[in-house]
Amino acid sequence: MDLLERDRDLQALATALGEAAASRGRIALVAGEAGIGKTTFVEHFLAAHGRDARVLKGNCDALFTPTPLGPLYDIARQAGGKLAVGIEGSAPRAALFSALLEQLQGGARPTILVIEDMHWADEATIDLAKFLGRRVAEARVLFVATYREDEVGPHHRLRTLLGDLAGSRSTTRIALSRLTIDAVRALVAQRPFDPLLLHRQTAGNPFFVTEVLSSAGHGIPATVRDAVLARAAKLGPAGRTVLAAAAVIGGRIDPGFLAAVAGDTQEGLGDCLSVGIIEAAGDCVAFRHELAREAVLAEIEPGRRRELNRRALDALKAAGGGRGDLAQLVQYAEGAGDASAVLELAVAAAKAAVAVGAHREAEAQYARALRHSADLPPAERAALFEAHADELAIIDDLERATEERRAAVALWRGLDDRLKEGENLAALAWPLVRSGRNAEAEEVSRSAIEVLRALPPSRQLADAYRVRAHLRMLDRDRPMAVRWGRKAIALATRLRDEATVAAAEMAVGSAILVTGDDRGRAYLDRSIARASRLGQDAMVGLALLNIGTSYGEQYRFPEAEQVLDQGIAYTSEHDLDHANHYMRAWLALVRVHQGRWSEASDLAAALVAQPSLAAISRIMVLVALGRLRARRGDPGAAAALDEALTLAAQTGTLQRLAPVRAARAELAWLEGDKARCVAEAKAVHALAIKHRHRWHAGEFAFWRRRSGERVAVPAWCAQPYRLQLKGDWRKAAEAWHRLGCPYEQARALAEGDAAAQTEALAIFDQLGAAPAAAALRQHMRGTGVRRIPRGPRATTRRNPFGLTVREMEILACLAAGLSNGRIGTRLHVSPKTVGHHVSAVLAKLGAASRGEAARLAREQGLLPQNREVGDAK
Amino acid sequence: MPRYMIERTFPDGLGLTPNQQGNQAATSVIANNAQQGVTWVHSYVTPDKKHTFCVYDGPSPEAIRKVAERNGLPVDRITEVRVLDPYFHM
Repeated sequence: MDLLERDRDLQALATALGEAAASRGRIALVAGEAGIGKTTFVEHFLAAHGRDARVLKGNCDALFTPTPLGPLYDIARQAGGKLAVGIEGSAPRAALFSALLEQLQGGARPTILVIEDMHWADEATIDLAKFLGRRVAEARVLFVATYREDEVGPHHRLRTLLGDLAGSRSTTRIALSRLTIDAVRALVAQRPFDPLLLHRQTAGNPFFVTEVLSSAGHGIPATVRDAVLARAAKLGPAGRTVLAAAAVIGGRIDPGFLAAVAGDTQEGLGDCLSVGIIEAAGDCVAFRHELAREAVLAEIEPGRRRELNRRALDALKAAGGGRGDLAQLVQYAEGAGDASAVLELAVAAAKAAVAVGAHREAEAQYARALRHSADLPPAERAALFEAHADELAIIDDLERATEERRAAVALWRGLDDRLKEGENLAALAWPLVRSGRNAEAEEVSRSAIEVLRALPPSRQLADAYRVRAHLRMLDRDRPMAVRWGRKAIALATRLRDEATVAAAEMAVGSAILVTGDDRGRAYLDRSIARASRLGQDAMVGLALLNIGTSYGEQYRFPEAEQVLDQGIAYTSEHDLDHANHYMRAWLALVRVHQGRWSEASDLAAALVAQPSLAAISRIMVLVALGRLRARRGDPGAAAALDEALTLAAQTGTLQRLAPVRAARAELAWLEGDKARCVAEAKAVHALAIKHRHRWHAGEFAFWRRRSGERVAVPAWCAQPYRLQLKGDWRKAAEAWHRLGCPYEQARALAEGDAAAQTEALAIFDQLGAAPAAAALRQHMRGTGVRRIPRGPRATTRRNPFGLTVREMEILACLAAGLSNGRIGTRLHVSPKTVGHHVSAVLAKLGAASRGEAARLAREQGLLPQNREVGDAK
Repeated sequence: MPRYMIERTFPDGLGLTPNQQGNQAATSVIANNAQQGVTWVHSYVTPDKKHTFCVYDGPSPEAIRKVAERNGLPVDRITEVRVLDPYFHM
């Protein structure tokens, strides 16, 4: 059949393939409602261009709980090699992902990789797509993903992936539209249908239109379902038997398997194929569309459906279904109403899902197993609750994780298994503290130790000590964190439990470092080395995060910047998104304090747009945004900080509340509202003093004093604030300058003599700190200072493309015609890093090539200013 | 999408001329804006051409500043605004 009204979309895909063939890998997102013809469109494209490329194709299936990495099984079968061996041999998912990438990078011809129906994808497949999306740019690959736009709501898990890919320059979006009246008229041709009526009734949905046209031809059915059933009604009894079996089996169906379920299929299958409701798909057969399968399935009488599911279950078991068939087996068992089979298969499916990191699917399978577990012995049931709680905690469903963990504790207690009871009590602390229920977490952590101490020394006890240390660290209680952490390290070392040693070292190191004591760094470095040896990427990422943010919290910005950069690179390489987001949020805040506002603004703006940002990352990025807007005098500061406060209040911890309150106090001050400034600064001042947090306590005292309150300033407060509160503006300004905080430096100078104030004004103007500059000008006029400098001169076209200093250097090298290798040598970075910078420069200039970038640089006069900007830093 | 009023100062006067060069400048501003999801609605300019008041639609003040930087345009102040139509009340 001709493909109507898709020429432009086909052309877009062909262009993308051309790019991919030239080693500029592309991603194409093909979206549209059910029945719009996504599969037909892709098939058409492959028929026209498949010969110029290797084609790999995988499908996501419409199961209640999808098969983890389902599409990768299809792809592995076609690709063969290491990937096929790995997937059959249950290789870890990182190995599978890189095996696929290796396959894609090799080969003489470009590859077209298609994953269909991504709206049904499991979590691991979405991770796979994200992994590919981030690495496709330098491979000869066109990655085509299709999905139903109308089924991907704002909270659908595919949203994160789409957000991730949308930001990439390699992405092409293709939205398939409905047929116009002209197309419907062409399809109707000589048939006895009124094109106008048909177009109105079907809204131009191609599947609906063709279904109507191929049904008997008496009138237009009201719904797609009616149209499908009208077509099915043309079948005889043999055809209907086969159709019902096929509807229960679903997906692409092996004819032999179909015969095993439906009995004799010779006549019936032929009927179904000739009526066109089922089509051949390679060696298999499949419904012409999932919509047709759904319509047929809904019509099968319940007893018959159970029977067919039972036969499908037996047939698939007899065929020796492997890891990739477990989810399907579970669905047949559930359809057959076989509780003991569901229980057994769901647990196996859950374990298989955990193995490839499909935690949402694992959670769903454990929940299903628990629903069928009433007759299980208590110890086995308790183990199911534990496993379910683990998965719930990983997918951030903390409330249910807590409930399931408590159920496990109760069962073990009933069995008088003290070791298991203690282990689960310690594990219970984690979902509790992460949902901000800190007091309850403390309590269960204490009980865990109490229970386990009564037994001989165990790994469980070492871990319970470690949990306690971690909780105390989060509360910034250094002595207790160190005490419990050392106990954990000693015991775990004796029992050779390296993972617990590494985790305990991280807790101790963070607790020490966050108070500004460098001795914590040694613990953290040891933890990183140990975790790397164990291959625990997530722990390495977390340790880097703790180091970087501890420095940030202590206003040690050059060190914070260096470790955060390292941590951001590490976590993006290892796809550790949560840690990556949190560190980028902190880097934005560091940039605000460093006066590098343009960079802060870019980081923060990109991050707040992320659809699935964890609360702690969102709090920190909103603080950065709030401070930035307040200091620039831009709108939206209050909105950002209101949201941050709501989120921080849920945690109830100093670590979150103090940065938010401090930023709010600053905003109130800049808006001239002293009463509000005091209220904000007072809110958690006592808590900051209790924790002896030098910087938070210093800043709160500073705002309260500025707003006219009398407030004591402990000697341990951070030095620059202490100096400023003593009235020693000169030394305070010097201290801020040494820390690399120009805005704070200017704020201290503004309290000085006329010369200092003039200097402050220059800094404020240079930063673009309009409110502080305006207030200072007014103050200077009021005190009769003469010759107050005028406002900042209008920015000239110094750097109209927003290039960073590094990118300006790269641009100068490009204009000089240097290769990446030569640029790398000159700037002391790897050619790969140069490559990234060059892409960024081209993107910002909107230039298609290095030559065009060089021309633009000369035309726009970007080159002479290069030196000037470089020196200004 | 929020609407913003952006005040700008041009000490030497705004150089936008109603000719080929002026058109090119305006086109390049519009292209830069589009990359950040920002739309330039229209502007008012004082008779001496030293001050402009520009109405923009954009996702955030950060996006407004970003395009100003790319376009080489100064920013004195950004204010979030809503339309108030006098005839609506008549």
